[in-house]
Amino acid sequence: MKLPIAAALWLLVAFQSGAAEQSTTPAPSTVSVAEQGEAREPRWRLGFALGYGLRTNPLVQSDDIPIVVDVDIGWFGDRFFFDNGDLGVTFADNDRITASLVARVNSDRVFFGRTNTRFVTVDAAGMPLSEAIVFDVPDRSYATELGIEVLMDGSWGQLQMTAHHDISGTHEGYELFVDYGYGWRNQRWYVEPSIGLSYKSDELNDYYWGVREDEASPALLAYTAGDGINAHARLALSYQVNRHWTFSLVGEFERLNDDAAASPIVKDKNVFGYFAGFGFHF
Amino acid sequence: MMPRALLLLFTLLPLTATLNTAVADESMRLSVKPVLCITDKRTPSCQMSFLVLWESAQTGYYCLFNDFGETPIRCWSDERSGRTEDERIVENDFQYWMQDDSSELQLAVVTVEVLRLDSDDRRRKRRTRHVWDVN
Repeated sequence: MKLPIAAALWLLVAFQSGAAEQSTTPAPSTVSVAEQGEAREPRWRLGFALGYGLRTNPLVQSDDIPIVVDVDIGWFGDRFFFDNGDLGVTFADNDRITASLVARVNSDRVFFGRTNTRFVTVDAAGMPLSEAIVFDVPDRSYATELGIEVLMDGSWGQLQMTAHHDISGTHEGYELFVDYGYGWRNQRWYVEPSIGLSYKSDELNDYYWGVREDEASPALLAYTAGDGINAHARLALSYQVNRHWTFSLVGEFERLNDDAAASPIVKDKNVFGYFAGFGFHF
Repeated sequence: MMPRALLLLFTLLPLTATLNTAVADESMRLSVKPVLCITDKRTPSCQMSFLVLWESAQTGYYCLFNDFGETPIRCWSDERSGRTEDERIVENDFQYWMQDDSSELQLAVVTVEVLRLDSDDRRRKRRTRHVWDVN
């Protein structure tokens, strides 16, 4: 619990620092984007993507996650916003940072929706069993999380930092996330590499990647996962076909933390994702 | 199934992109390249060289105009086709059009779109968990 509190304090200091600058600098940048009449953007962001992609599933006895079509729905008000399932209220928006309180659903659960049941005839050590037993990847629930998100950008790139804690009593842990990206545009072409880290507390890690005693069997040993840090990298390339259509190529890589990767329900430490297709925005 | 759908999209997209090449009078064809200019925070304007091509069914006196001035960019006498290049720094949508000396009607119009892709609202660029999200 100490880390989220420290992160919240840091964010508060950053917000106060930004507010202090606002009061001494008579620059229009202190006015929020939504209040700038001529630069006002539509509140809604609606779109969809068609193409083909895949996200590998690190779980044993599981299928990869295909990506064929997706809908993009966002609404951005002066304070409140909705972004594809995330709900937020913005409490600081100045020339340095945008800080929001965000409620979301945890992303680790996504892998557990595509697992299979099989019968096995050997135990976890590879020794034959007297009779075949059912081998299931334990089911896990979605967790609702609440936290703080800070966004910063400039000529140096863009930075996203989040600290989220479970509020649904599902895993009762927390996650700290940081992502840095830098984009280059040459007219219709845009390329953006990004990298980041995600710290997962022991409660969160153990809930999703651990195996509890009542879930264990001769083929699936009990396992307790501690905390750990995931690393990720992404490369996005896009071509603006016209005002509404974009062709995109995206590749993504995530390396699970050591404690998650060592779990008996994990077969692959690395998660790869890619997508190629057309996006349409109204 | 999916490759066919993608192939259809590939075929249709260039058609939608060239809809800007409007023809007000069927006897006059006007083409401008490029018709899309993209700006963002780092590059708030486009410095571009526009290639303008026109072709008419009849020989005549034709002038090329755009929204930046009342005087023509260039005129052609006793011609039925022509081409020119126009260097511009643009921040907003504008039009090129062809006009003859008698009617002062716009015989053909092409709109050049300036598309601002970068948002001032940082929240619109927040990273979501969508692998395919490239906004």
